[in-house]
Amino acid sequence: MKEYYIDYQSAKPVDPRVVEEMTPYFTERFGNPASLHAPGDRATAVLDQCRARVAGFIGAAPEEIIFTSGATESNNIALIGYANKNKRTGNHIIISEVEHISIHNIAKFLEKNGFRISKVPPDQFGRINPEKIRSRISDDTILVSVGWGSSEIGTVQDIKRIAAILEGTGAALHVDAVAVEGLIPIDISTTAIHLLTLSSNDIYGPQGLGALYIRKGVKLAPITMGGGQEMGLRSGTEPLALIAGMAAAADIATAEMVAEAKRLASMRNRLIEAVLATIPDSHLNGHPTERVPNNAHFRFEGIEGESLLLSLRDEGIAVSTGSACSSKTLEPSHTLLSCGLLHEEAHGSLEFTFGRWSKEEDVDRVMEVLPDIVLRLRRLSPLYTVN
Amino acid sequence: MKSTQYTEETLDHFRNPRNVGTLEGDDVAIGRVGNPVCGDLMEMYLRIADDRIVDIKFQTFGCGSAVATSSMTTELVKGMTLDEAMEVTRSDVADALGGLPPIKMHCSNLAADALHDAIKNWRAGIKLEPLAAEDTSADHPTCAVPLATTIDNADDYLGRGLYKKVEDINELTDKRTLVLDRGDATASLAIELTKVTPRVIFLTELDTLGLSPELATAIKRSDVKVLYQSRLVSVGGEGEIEKVRIFDLDEENEYDLFVDAVVLLEK
Repeated sequence: MKEYYIDYQSAKPVDPRVVEEMTPYFTERFGNPASLHAPGDRATAVLDQCRARVAGFIGAAPEEIIFTSGATESNNIALIGYANKNKRTGNHIIISEVEHISIHNIAKFLEKNGFRISKVPPDQFGRINPEKIRSRISDDTILVSVGWGSSEIGTVQDIKRIAAILEGTGAALHVDAVAVEGLIPIDISTTAIHLLTLSSNDIYGPQGLGALYIRKGVKLAPITMGGGQEMGLRSGTEPLALIAGMAAAADIATAEMVAEAKRLASMRNRLIEAVLATIPDSHLNGHPTERVPNNAHFRFEGIEGESLLLSLRDEGIAVSTGSACSSKTLEPSHTLLSCGLLHEEAHGSLEFTFGRWSKEEDVDRVMEVLPDIVLRLRRLSPLYTVN
Repeated sequence: MKSTQYTEETLDHFRNPRNVGTLEGDDVAIGRVGNPVCGDLMEMYLRIADDRIVDIKFQTFGCGSAVATSSMTTELVKGMTLDEAMEVTRSDVADALGGLPPIKMHCSNLAADALHDAIKNWRAGIKLEPLAAEDTSADHPTCAVPLATTIDNADDYLGRGLYKKVEDINELTDKRTLVLDRGDATASLAIELTKVTPRVIFLTELDTLGLSPELATAIKRSDVKVLYQSRLVSVGGEGEIEKVRIFDLDEENEYDLFVDAVVLLEK
């Protein structure tokens, strides 16, 4: 059966142009940048050059970028590293309720270690009102962490206004940019962000690599110990092939982002319009306009997300759900609950994310089968009466 | 086994569920278990003659294995005596499906539990009302309006998301608003509010709408979300209302609901 992959948020294929650039570093152009011989020097040159390219992707200086094993590690180094380094200044950290699970669990860990955590709830569209951050700031607030976009419902935050509110308060701003990178231009030089998390796979680079932007002058304590690579913050020999891949991916994203975002948005908008017009009692989760261009997130009254996912799978369509049953816990998505949904509403949600190889026919295929699937599952449901 | 990995038998029952629907009549026993809050709800309808299950139907709001286990259960027990059916266990159902992923065993409990619930109800002479039945309020023209509960900390939020009267509905534009059931006036207000905000929740302690029949129909047709058998415990938030704590009288558990405004009309 023909497969339709509409789950780019979960994993992205690596761009073949990226693979091509990576390949020599696995075989003939290998080397450890820490070595003093010629292959070592060549590796150092590659590392420096790739670091500059990734820095250029967000308007940063090369010495403000460290490579990590991925976005989760970048978030750990940023939050735990900053908290530990600055605990004499204060012990209060603010995050938003719509953060990625890694931020929530890091916050939980910091709370156990004596830090005070405040969480800012979003409005019904998943947007954080910057004034709600302002009202939570106190003299001992050292760090605020807000994701630029939600990888789940796609809502994009007004990071510029949040950064403006923090100016002069002494609190640093960490931004997880994974959901927006490659979709929305990021220019760190015009916004007062202190720490920013990037992932390689989210711009069609290899998995297993991420980066952390650390503004000049911002001090972190290392959370792992070793040979002192990456400014002592991420010890371990740098994986040259992966790093070359992320640099190539960043270059491609910079060149193609604007046109690609436009293409994805038009495809995505067509899906949203068709679903809301064709399927009764369907709703769009997240913000109607302030959302990443590739994300459509729906909720269908009276049915459960995993049943939808399995039925779509039978039609060759791969999507995600905010439903409990598809994850390791039975809890529904914390993001949907914080937008004000009830548990049973959050369970009936479905997420579509388009990407570089998505085509208009993906939308056609979804609309060919989804209305009947929803109808069939509603006929099974005691919570819904089909008229 | 991966959490989403099902046997072919399970997938077949999910794709083509047997015996979906409801049954009516004096010889029908109804069982209901689960809670949509946990992502599952199951109803079983048994037609009983001479202590034997002669027909059986089910409805479910649930994941793939909830659908499949219900379907398989109906096949297993059709024709059994009530005593035999009481002996059918959740693992019998899972075995008949060729096994279920470990994380899904919870869902597989539902079908057998709903079956046993129906038999127990039958033996105790209890007749449940079908959930999806249209307009259950018509059968209860006017239920008593519940007593106004006092919310301990409500006054702390007056003017900061808590409304004891609403003079201009535009004040609630785009706010997630919780309206407490204090009778017809509050229901009318809830319906009115859907003009300015997509999210209006009507919270009632009753298990059905204790409103005039016209208003009960109007609120069901509106975009108001009605929360039955629910009690407001407290309001919370940093400086203004950001969430409420709700007690589910049926399930006897508490949970948080994120809202921006609470309307507590004074009597």
